[in-house]
Amino acid sequence: MEFFIQVLVATVGMGTPLLFATLGGVISERAGVINLGMEGLMLVGALVAFVVMLNTGSYLFAVIAATIASGLVSMLHGFVCLMLRANQIASGLALTFFGAGLSGLFGDKLTGETVEPLSRIPIPVLSSIPVLGPMLFNQDILVYFSYLCVILSWLLLFKTRLGLNIRSMGEAPEVCDSLGLSVIGYRFFAVVGGGMLIGIGGAYFPLALTPFWVDGITAGRGWIAVALVIFSFWHPVKALGGAYLFGIALAMELRLQILGVEISPYYLKMLPYILTILVLTLVTIRYKRLGVQVMPAALGEVFFRGEKH
Amino acid sequence: MEKRVNTSPWGRVTVLSAAMLLVLLISFFFFLAAGIEPFAAYKIIGEEVFLTSYGWQDLLVKMTPLMFTGLAVALAAQMRLWNIGAEGQFHMGTFALTWFVLEFDGKLPGGMLIVLMFLMAMIGGGLWGSIPGYLKARFGVNEIITSLLLNYVSIAWLDHLLFGDWRDPNTNNFPITKEFSEAAQLPTFGNTPVHAGLIIAFVFVLIIAWILWKTRLGFQIRLSGENPDAARYSGVNIRMVTILVFAASGAIAGIAGFSEVTGIHYRLQQNISIGYGYTGIIVAWLARNHPLGIILSAFFMSIVFVSAEALQIEYGLPISMVFLYQGIILFTVLGSEIFTEYRLRMTGRLVPTETGKKPHL
Repeated sequence: MEFFIQVLVATVGMGTPLLFATLGGVISERAGVINLGMEGLMLVGALVAFVVMLNTGSYLFAVIAATIASGLVSMLHGFVCLMLRANQIASGLALTFFGAGLSGLFGDKLTGETVEPLSRIPIPVLSSIPVLGPMLFNQDILVYFSYLCVILSWLLLFKTRLGLNIRSMGEAPEVCDSLGLSVIGYRFFAVVGGGMLIGIGGAYFPLALTPFWVDGITAGRGWIAVALVIFSFWHPVKALGGAYLFGIALAMELRLQILGVEISPYYLKMLPYILTILVLTLVTIRYKRLGVQVMPAALGEVFFRGEKH
Repeated sequence: MEKRVNTSPWGRVTVLSAAMLLVLLISFFFFLAAGIEPFAAYKIIGEEVFLTSYGWQDLLVKMTPLMFTGLAVALAAQMRLWNIGAEGQFHMGTFALTWFVLEFDGKLPGGMLIVLMFLMAMIGGGLWGSIPGYLKARFGVNEIITSLLLNYVSIAWLDHLLFGDWRDPNTNNFPITKEFSEAAQLPTFGNTPVHAGLIIAFVFVLIIAWILWKTRLGFQIRLSGENPDAARYSGVNIRMVTILVFAASGAIAGIAGFSEVTGIHYRLQQNISIGYGYTGIIVAWLARNHPLGIILSAFFMSIVFVSAEALQIEYGLPISMVFLYQGIILFTVLGSEIFTEYRLRMTGRLVPTETGKKPHL
């Protein structure tokens, strides 16, 4: 039982960066822009958060700086694939290279430095609920912020005019354009806003999970988040479930190692990636069975205003 | 503004050169940010890379794996498939040939060993590549994500072996295998580190170009990429071709692993690929997926690697800086493509938007 609760507590911790990143991906893709640069954006967020944390000792500043930095870097993606109409997939890959290189170059001298990880803040009453209490309500402030982000992005996408417009950009940009809405403007907004959330996901690594710097600190989680966007049917609330499902796999990896179970640590390392491939396959088959359009219809399309392309 | 139907190669060369100047300009600021005098850095790169014979040899050595991985990505891209997994296929190629050589080194006559190692690398990379190919063909699973995630799996698998059964007990517990015998080594050009892998790479460029433009299969690949519906109506088995292309792509990436192990290291060790598989994506993109263009773009990306090495030695900058440059180069080239791919046309008439090709998610 003790082991079980430990795994669940770690599940939320491991799932949180995935959750932030998936929410960011959902917002961007709802507007019709694929972001394959999540891994790069997370690395930028992680690097900036770590550097600011080292120098100021303030978690708030670290998160804000990571948000701004990843927002700025995602502007590059927005600029290249919206204004300059480049291929979104290639631009996303460029973003991944860029982020990996940037964090490798400027993180090199930081290897070995440590920061104090975020402390847990138990929420009164709620944290004493059996199982769910320690799992969900005895976590750090960024985890609580991620809950808020789930609710806010759901409200934004499905309950506001702005969200309706964003979603329409991903479904029928030509119609939006003829209604006088700025397709590029809304898409740019979604890419940058989503990028900021992805950056917070990256910041969670040095601030809470691994409070020291290692090269490639996000270890491919950005790519798992790319798959999670599809897994969650482009929906913020389902993103929560998806992120925690993968959180379990990652938490098991950690816990089994601590318990000293006789299994190669490298097999445990493979687990989340293999699980992602399996789940992605099952979800794709399910989409086909359902036979309905869940993917934003105009996802990945280059938009041209009233012109041929 | 409209999409150009035919893009002139000279326009492309001009834009690429302008993009490269921009890259140099951007790197100016990165040098400043890293606390390095930019002009001194340019000078070091110029001297170390182009004015020494070692620099030129290193350019050819680094170009070799990039030609293979670039070809691998380009072949899949001819069918509008994204193989982001060349890195993993490279590793699984080295896995298969190392397994073979550890079992059979010294038990087979001379030339046979290395030929079979070559085949093993193709099989290892090919099978690994056919996983995303199969999932894509059979279920429509996004091949970008699956091929990429398999990279992490393959690296963990090699680490498992290198820190386990395959570790050479005589080398102070470094994660490396024992050195292979001379029968498992490719010949080099005289006393240079340039090895026969380069020749194999050129041969494969020609083979792939021949397949793509002179065979029925190549026609089917290109048709499936450009117009899947037309391909289907004309009887192309798209599923079969998808799996085949991915397997072939993986096999070529596997040869990159063969070339590095048998041409340079003569053993398996960690970090045998410094991102060659990922760089293949950029090599292919710069070459517009044309096999002959791969030669030029692989050489160009090789300059980036060798320059980064020079900077690493001189200033202690980490080699991961290469990725930063690759990101900047890809962004710049993508951004500048608006000039080669589109042209401005003054028109008062509004033409209805056509819906473009959807990504296969």
